[in-house]
Amino acid sequence: MTRSLNDLRPVYVVGIGWHRYQNPSETPYVALGLTAIRAALADARIEWPAVESTYVATALLGMASGRPMLRHLGATGAPLMHVENASASGSTAFRHACIEVASGISDVALAIGVDKRNPVRRAETGIGHLAEDAIVPFTHFALLTNEYAVRHNATAEDIALVAVKNHRNGAKNPNAQRQQERTLDEVLGGKRVSGSLTSLQCTPIGEGAAAVIVASEDGIRRLGIDAGRAIRTTASVGRSERVYAPGAGFDAALTKETADLALAQAKVTPGDIDIIELHDAFTVEELHYIESIGLCPEGHGVRMLKDGALDIGGQCAINPSGGLIAMGHPIGPTGIGQIGEIVMQLRGEAGARQHQGARTGLAHMVGVGAVCYVHILQN
Amino acid sequence: MQPSKLLKPELYSAGSSDGDGATARLKGGRCRCGYVFFPMQTYGCERCGSHGDALTPYELSTNGTLLAEATVHLHADKNRPAPFTIVKVALDDGPVIRTLLADDSARVAPGQRVTGRLVPTTQSESGETVLDLRFSAAS
Repeated sequence: MTRSLNDLRPVYVVGIGWHRYQNPSETPYVALGLTAIRAALADARIEWPAVESTYVATALLGMASGRPMLRHLGATGAPLMHVENASASGSTAFRHACIEVASGISDVALAIGVDKRNPVRRAETGIGHLAEDAIVPFTHFALLTNEYAVRHNATAEDIALVAVKNHRNGAKNPNAQRQQERTLDEVLGGKRVSGSLTSLQCTPIGEGAAAVIVASEDGIRRLGIDAGRAIRTTASVGRSERVYAPGAGFDAALTKETADLALAQAKVTPGDIDIIELHDAFTVEELHYIESIGLCPEGHGVRMLKDGALDIGGQCAINPSGGLIAMGHPIGPTGIGQIGEIVMQLRGEAGARQHQGARTGLAHMVGVGAVCYVHILQN
Repeated sequence: MQPSKLLKPELYSAGSSDGDGATARLKGGRCRCGYVFFPMQTYGCERCGSHGDALTPYELSTNGTLLAEATVHLHADKNRPAPFTIVKVALDDGPVIRTLLADDSARVAPGQRVTGRLVPTTQSESGETVLDLRFSAAS
């Protein structure tokens, strides 16, 4: 008999911190990561030796980047591991930090995501391809945009409204890479990238760091952490791509099955969710994923967007942080930063972008289509 | 006719030739479980995990229906100067593939019938015309 995270002992997020996501710079990753970790320790009001285990999420820094960063906190000898899972690296690190605490192996664990923009290298499989070298991620999503637009009679303007909303949210987030409101004309008038996608509808290239500290009830008591600011993780699910019907969008299908499992684990319905941080690397993804998560039937996402139902203060705030489009997507940090945003919202500490009365938040990431992670947090 | 060679002979073979280039057949595979895939490989079946002799070569027609198209305006690789158009095609024989639209194709839209042909791309060092697969609106 196997068990899910929510069947194990409760695990809470007790500390969150960032180094702002930003354009590529000369700042070493060590400085980015330490800034986020120290902010999370300060937020939890604990000292570094209390952390019993660390998961370092990074996709682009190369081998064993954690120790040269963590040693500057005082080398405690606590275990350390690195997690690479494409865009979902941070979400995966968070899941395993939660599992370690929920299992009783540790009382306090850290998930830290840090990355600098470096070339992506993927090994050859030995199987040939027709033109995959010509199909970078933005073209994969330009193809999905074309399919979505034709199937659901949506215009390029409709889909671009996702970017207008997320830039508006990002403009209120001091940790966002892009902090500027954009009109629909600005979004549509920007540099054309692929298909109908323009640059302001695509996540920017950047760097940064995000850290989250999780703890058990024993750890919270022992360290005197403020339990009133602790936010429980009530579901954690990871899945990978299967074989779907020919022509089915695997991104949406994989998200649906992962989200369904997470909702069942937390014993909530899509209507119970107040905020969602999801993988909007490209505008069309937000529509696909809110439909896959079950906020509305397939093809109805544009209607919700136009009605303001997805705004902060609406029915369910989608990407109140600004999402990958505005907050940014430095890869390793992204999934951890989503958890931090949800925690801030559920504590009621999100300031200008607070979604009033937020009780339940969902974080979603995909990684090169192949993997999907969903977490649910509740206060 | 001038000598020619295929850019990726492990992926497709040439059929009869006409003025627009050669018709092509795709070198797909079929598993004992019935799953049809492209390209051929013997590592193992994505659906059931069978490998080796369970997987056999299975030629696929290039006829299919367009699922999506996207014209790429920016591309970092200098070997593929933009703009070019990528098409996602549901082959009549099952697999969904993504590849390049022929430069001389009529405009295409989802739902439209398309077909693949081998068209001249570059010259090899020995002076042969190098043929590669491109899709076009079916005539």
